[in-house]
Amino acid sequence: MLLFRSEEWIDTWCQRNNLKRGEVLTVQQVWELSKPWYANRLALDYHGRSPELVAEIFRKSGLTSEFWR
Amino acid sequence: MLVDYSLLWQVRHFVYNHFADTTHPPSVEETARRFNISTKEAGDDYQELNNRHQFFLDPSTVNIRMAWPFSAMPTDFKVHANGRTYYANCAWDMLGIPVVLQSDATADAICTESNDAVQLEIKNGQVTNRDLLIHFPVAFSHWYDDLVFT
Repeated sequence: MLLFRSEEWIDTWCQRNNLKRGEVLTVQQVWELSKPWYANRLALDYHGRSPELVAEIFRKSGLTSEFWR
Repeated sequence: MLVDYSLLWQVRHFVYNHFADTTHPPSVEETARRFNISTKEAGDDYQELNNRHQFFLDPSTVNIRMAWPFSAMPTDFKVHANGRTYYANCAWDMLGIPVVLQSDATADAICTESNDAVQLEIKNGQVTNRDLLIHFPVAFSHWYDDLVFT
């Protein structure tokens, strides 16, 4: 996941690397997504996330397209 | 290989907290000493945790490269927090480090295409430069196909 200053720079990067454009979120959106995604990561009882929890985190963040499944 | 699951999760816990405390992962020898086990046993646990996507080993080694959000290698995503400087694996992990550390942070990053330097600040649960963009090039179902590219 790479950082860009604008949509134009993303398009240029995709063209230069001959890659299809994926999904683009703002830093604010990713920051909000980071809070549940990385929660509890240092705890002894963290053993990873279940597929159900991943789906729930994405759904609550409004990420419901096929890309996030 | 018979897996001692209690020890396995303790090893995972040790690796992550070592990363958080020191900015780098423990070697397999350090982990073996910590748990009073052989380097072979520690290496087997590293491999098992790698297989479970708990962290990522450099291929054909027992060297931890990624324990998300931390990177053992320098990257374009540098995060300063708690008086230390960490490297994140990607732009998303850059925002994950202050969450994991439960701290404020500043991040020095690079716009991938323009090479412009960018700084973000995470303070009191808020982030600056919030309109910058993060591109996810790979759909979720393929994230583990090639972790370095992802």
